[in-house]
This record gives sequence, C-alpha cells and structure tokens, in this order.
Amino acid sequence: MQDIVLSVQNLSKVFDLGRGKVRAVNGFSADIERGECMAVVGESGSGKSTIANMILGIHEPSSGKIVLDGEPLPKRRALRHRRMVQLVQQNPLSSLNPKRSVGASIRLALDVHQIGERSSRQRQIGLFLEEVGLPGHYAGRTPEALSGGERQRVAIARALACESRLVVLDEPTSALDVIVQARILRLLNDLRSARGLTYIFITHDLAVVRNIADRVAVLKDGQLLELARTGTIFSNPGHSYTRSLIAASPVVTPDEVTLRDKLKLGEN
Amino acid sequence: MSAAILEINDLRLSFKGHAGQTDVLHGISLKIAPEERVGLVGESGSGKSVTARAVLGLIQSLGSARISGDIMFDGENLASIPPSRRDGLLGTRISMIFQDPTSSLNPVFQIGAQFHEVLKRVEPGISFKETRSRVNSILSKVSIPEPERVLKSFPFQLSGGMNQRVMIAMALVNLPSLLIADEPGSALDVTVQDQTLRLMRKLVDERRTSVLFISHNLGVVREFTERIYVIYRGRIVEEGLTEAIFREPRHPYTRALMAAVPRITRSGIPEVEDDPELFQAPREVHEVGGVS
Repeated sequence: MQDIVLSVQNLSKVFDLGRGKVRAVNGFSADIERGECMAVVGESGSGKSTIANMILGIHEPSSGKIVLDGEPLPKRRALRHRRMVQLVQQNPLSSLNPKRSVGASIRLALDVHQIGERSSRQRQIGLFLEEVGLPGHYAGRTPEALSGGERQRVAIARALACESRLVVLDEPTSALDVIVQARILRLLNDLRSARGLTYIFITHDLAVVRNIADRVAVLKDGQLLELARTGTIFSNPGHSYTRSLIAASPVVTPDEVTLRDKLKLGEN
Repeated sequence: MSAAILEINDLRLSFKGHAGQTDVLHGISLKIAPEERVGLVGESGSGKSVTARAVLGLIQSLGSARISGDIMFDGENLASIPPSRRDGLLGTRISMIFQDPTSSLNPVFQIGAQFHEVLKRVEPGISFKETRSRVNSILSKVSIPEPERVLKSFPFQLSGGMNQRVMIAMALVNLPSLLIADEPGSALDVTVQDQTLRLMRKLVDERRTSVLFISHNLGVVREFTERIYVIYRGRIVEEGLTEAIFREPRHPYTRALMAAVPRITRSGIPEVEDDPELFQAPREVHEVGGVS
C-alpha cells in the first residue's frame, strides 16, 4: 500500500491583475509518497513556484484541496500547519536575515514553534549546524561572512529545525557553482535517508532532476503535462514538450549527446 | 607570430580595499585567432568576467584597481593606448553581450533608436531610414519575425529571449572583429537559451567574428566553442581544444568541475574530488596546431 504524505487535488490558482486574469496553475493533482523526492519541472511562468507557494500556504489556492498526512489543510494555516511544511529557497542571501547571526535564525524557528527547551538552545543549534556539515561555532556568524554553499547549508539547517517531514526545495542549487551544487545535492540526499524526509524539488534543471528525483512532474503554462518515474521521463518522454526540454539541456558527455539526439529525432 | 586578434599576456589585477590588497588575476595569458570561438570557463569569483571587463577598459578607470600586463587587440595594446582611442573601438570593432539582456538595453528608448545609436558609432551621419533597412535585415537573421514591430517596441514589451536576440543583433550589426559574450543566455529558460545560442553561432560564423565566450556552464561552452581556457582563482589551469579537454580533462580542478556536472543519462549525485590543495597543480596545456 502506498503511504501518501501529501495529496494535492485539482489545485488551481488565478491571479487577478486588474487588467485581466492569469491562470497560473490549472488543475494540478499529485500524490506524494513518504520518503520520495518529487521534482516539479518547468520553465519560467510554468506555475511551478505557484504550486510550491500554495503547498506552503503562502498563496491561497483559487480552488482545489491540499491534504497533508490525511488532514485537509485550511486556507488560513495555523502555526502547527506551518510547521509541517518547510521551505528552502534559491537564494540564501535573501532568505536569511542579513542582520541576524546564523544561530539566531535557527533559534527563531525553534522559539516560534516551541521546539525543545529554551535552556538547551545553544546545544540544539550546534547539532543542527553539524548535521548540515558546518562547525558549531558558525552560529555566531552572519550570513555575509559565509560562502554561498555554507549559506544554503544554514537555510537547510533552519528547515530541519522545525522537524517537519516535508520540505519544499525551490531551486535550491541554481545559484551555486557546480562543485558546490554537487555537495549540497549530496547533503540533501543524505538528510532525506537519515531523517526520512520527503522532498518537493522545484527546478528548471533537468540534469539535476535526473540525479536526485524519484518522480518528475512536467509543467507548462500552468498545466501538468506528465508525471512519471524519472527513468521513464528520460528514456521515453510521453510529451513532445518534455522531449524538447531534455533536448535543450546543455550536456558534457558523448552518451548524453546520443540521448539528446535520439530525443531530437523523435521531435520531428 | 602575432596573427591573433586578441592576445592577453600576463594580466595581473588586484584591488586595494580597506582590508588590504586582494589579488584577483595572477597572470592570465590567452589568445584568440581570427574567426576563432574561444571559451573562458570558471566558477564565480574565478576572475573570468573581470578579465573581459579589463579588455573593455572598464577596470582601468577604477581607482582601487592595480593592473599590469598587455592586452593586444589587432596590434594595439589596449592597456596603454589613450582611453579615448580605446573607447572608439568599443561598439565598433569590439562588442559585448551581457548575461541579462533586459538590463543591458535602455528601458526608455525604443529598440530602433538604440540601434540607431549603435550604427552612428561607425557612421555618424546615418539616417534613421537607413538604420531601419539595415536593422531589418539583421533582425530577420536572428529569427525575429516582425522586425518593424520590434523596432518600435520598448525592451519591456519584448520577452527575455526576444531581447537577447536583439542584443545579439545589436552587438554584431557593426561587424566587429571581436565579440565578448559574458554568460549570454544564462538568465533565460533552457529552450530559449539553446535557440539563441544557435542563432548567435550562425551569425558569428557568417560574419567571421572572433568570440571570447565566458561561462560557468560547461555544457554551453562545449556546444559553442572550439578552444577553451579553464580559469580557477585568477589562474588559467588548463587550455586546449574543447573536444580534447572534454575527452580528457587533465588538471585536477577541471576534472572536479566536469565530474560535478549533473548528467541527463545517470541517476545518483556526482562524486566530486574536493581537495583545494590539488587544484593548485600547475597548468595543463593540450598542444594545439594553429595558434600558439
């Protein structure tokens, strides 16, 4: 039997811009299994971030249902609901408060959700930092004093602090250099198995998806075009748009060129 | 032998700040032959963009910059000619494309007026009518379907991909000998990036423009260039034909960089060698016939 953590049913979002309405997401449905990494892929304007924002409760859906661990989430989320889903964003420089030390950023999450004893904060923060591969004394530093990869580790530590099982990763490595990206992806993968986390991985980068995701949802103009296992999406994409997305990915090895050329032939 | 269109010799750059001196480039040397497309590949902070900016003379005017070395462009040393002479080359014989097309175009002028300004750098008396006919022909070469409409548009009325094509056309309309492209298309969606790079490739081939292509994206560099220089912390660590470097990367840094690139043919996170000590290894040169 499948163990569904998050069930998204017929989710739509219409933005009223005054001079007209934009349907950003149109009837998106997906069941996300516990422990899986599901990628949501699309180009700018596809609605992928809007879906993430609705799952997080940042945007109110225009219609549709979001069921988390069997419980339908209300339009206005209570504190306990907010704790259940965490977010890691693309740019840690803008998602971390520049005036606040790394430790204080993590402490805030613990305080808001009243996790653990206030007296043992220092130790807790140190443990979270170590879990993401940073030395405990980094707690006293501000984001400015860290490298891009280290900052993203802090953002991940803060998401872990809430002990939620579901994490939305919105382009978590797009702003990083490839070597750093590889390290962060490895960390995310390790944390997923160690903590039994479930990921919704929002990205435009298909190569990253190939490396980390179990299943892929392909979006275009707010529509879900296909949802399948990662291997299937790449070996036998069901939609011509998916094909063209893979075919446009920059590649570095001869076997990738072969795959790409095969898909390009299929396009015609 | 100095057949190169651009030849940088031992370019060193440091900035003086309140915390002391920061060395940015530790002796960069590179060459571009006529009609050659050369890549300069590296991560953020490696010094690749600053190298391009030094060629354009944008660094020299900064009070905090200490710069030395030669930048020979077509027989002239850009590092020592008067700034006015150097400025005269920009937009005429050397042109540049930046990463984000929307921010490099002026938002308050129509595309047509901006093209007019570019053409005036070569022919100060050129009429708007003449501009229109020349621009129409180059815009159609970058697959812009309704050039007339685009000429009357403001940049914000066009998509990112459309603006990028306008930028490419604008950079090449004066038939420069050298085009410097700094992360062109990195701000665009992959399908659009793929398309615009193809158009750019076709146009530079047709016009026999030499290109210095700066990017962090190995896949894009592999597609676009014939020869590459890999730059790491202000030093060139490996150089050679694109095909040779991708087939057999020799320097530990290049190897790590290649290994880290996610592949569309395999699952699992790439295993990356990560010992900065190793990255300090001496430069690897793949011997190349032709320019050297």
